[in-house]
Amino acid sequence: MTDAARGPQAVAELRGVHKRYGQVDALHGVDLELRPGELVALLGPNGAGKTTAVSIVLGQRRPDAGSAWLFGRDPTIPAARRFVGATPQEIGFPDNLKVGEVIDLVRAHYPEPASTQEVLARFGLLEVAGRRTRGALRGPEAAAGGGPGLRRQPPGGDPGRAHHGLGRGRPARAVGPHPRVRGRRRHGAADHPLPGGGPGPGIPRGGDLGRPDRRPGQCRGHHRAGRAQQGAPAGCLPELPGVARAERTNDHHTLYTADADGLVRALALQGVAFSGLQVERASLEEAFLSLTGGER
Amino acid sequence: MRITLAHFKEQTLQHLRAPGYLLPTLAMPGLFWFLFEQEDQEPVLVTFLMASYAMWAILGVAFFQFGVGIAEERGTPWERYLRALPLSAGQRLAGRALSAMGFAVASAGVVIVEAHLISPVSVAVDRWLPWLGALLAGGVVMALGGIAIGYRAGPRAAVAVATLAWLLLAYLGGLWETPGELPGWAAEVSRYLPTRLWGEATWAAVLGQTAPVRDWLGLLAYAAGFAAVATWGYRRDEGASYR
Repeated sequence: MTDAARGPQAVAELRGVHKRYGQVDALHGVDLELRPGELVALLGPNGAGKTTAVSIVLGQRRPDAGSAWLFGRDPTIPAARRFVGATPQEIGFPDNLKVGEVIDLVRAHYPEPASTQEVLARFGLLEVAGRRTRGALRGPEAAAGGGPGLRRQPPGGDPGRAHHGLGRGRPARAVGPHPRVRGRRRHGAADHPLPGGGPGPGIPRGGDLGRPDRRPGQCRGHHRAGRAQQGAPAGCLPELPGVARAERTNDHHTLYTADADGLVRALALQGVAFSGLQVERASLEEAFLSLTGGER
Repeated sequence: MRITLAHFKEQTLQHLRAPGYLLPTLAMPGLFWFLFEQEDQEPVLVTFLMASYAMWAILGVAFFQFGVGIAEERGTPWERYLRALPLSAGQRLAGRALSAMGFAVASAGVVIVEAHLISPVSVAVDRWLPWLGALLAGGVVMALGGIAIGYRAGPRAAVAVATLAWLLLAYLGGLWETPGELPGWAAEVSRYLPTRLWGEATWAAVLGQTAPVRDWLGLLAYAAGFAAVATWGYRRDEGASYR
């Protein structure tokens, strides 16, 4: 690929990026390229360099060596970040601001932002717009789901949620107010460690993030991934669509699929006699394992 | 400009809702004037003290809005989030400075209006511009000192450091009583403090005396020193949080 074909088109790009923290080699010659319309997830164990890579893409850190571009510009230039929405790992708001005021502040940074009302409605925050962030977003009622705080998980399956940090894979703890730019696709970055930590799945291992296999829509796959268990007698299971993996213990089947709804529908349509059907959400780690063929 | 104004609004709203900030800036100088200075009837003395109290009020804004404000914000997830927005450090600082300017005008204004209402102060018409100018110029120097505190003191220590510096520099600089009333050792230290230099410049301006060059040069030196410490602290903070 020539530079001319690459530069202006890529949404974000890292080329030969190195980053050291003292003795720790966080990134060692990382190449990464995100193109318009792609949905890419960076997965890796703690210390793999995910956070560092994303923060360099966002212009929060500078690489020791190598180059970073955001929309063809140096990400440390504020204007380069105009079409990026970022949800950081930890979130905190100024205690003395009201929810609506936080959104107003963030809106002011973007050309043609969505209206505050639109953003409030989108995140189910209309009722707490006039409340200070401390009470509205961290109060016990929000944690309990009694109030539409930021912690509440929104209904429905909007794939856009993944990059807003509202993915269903984990409690929606991190929600940044990102007014979307009208009429333009907004790119997002979310960066969450795998639950559980530990020696998890390892594409980016040993501080070398490498270049993830680009698959459009793979993030969506993760978040829709489901697990259907059913108690049909062993051997009764017909060929079912979209089953990524099947496990069987005694007369209990566990099926892994990217489309739980479709699988249940197929079960019913094919007249499989089942009982005790459970549909569970696959964990991010399980989704990762199914993508990588179970390698750790 | 829109971004700077948004940060001006954010800073102003936040501080208006923080009693811990409003007390030392908006309330205390005016209250202290009412408690301690309303008996004084000598026009030159109360005019002198009005200038002192106005400086003390501005000093509070400088140390609390810049010092405590920056120290408490830096390193927070919110600050990190702001760094991902299309926002420059200059725009953020400009928003903070504009807001601080508003609070400084308000807090010094309370003292000035109150002094005119209850004390026989008298400022010649042609002295207003020079003395308000001296207040502003010294205020910028103190704001640099506040930024230096903000980037050098930890978030927990900042309140203590700012409060102590605010009280000590006011007392030793001769902003509560006239410098002549300071005890021997304090009078000795006083001559080298930024608040005293600012005081000399401002008192001269409000009373219609000639501008003492030595004091302005001293203030300038302090400005350079504070700016250097602030820059160093900012770089260090950037290195620690975002290297």
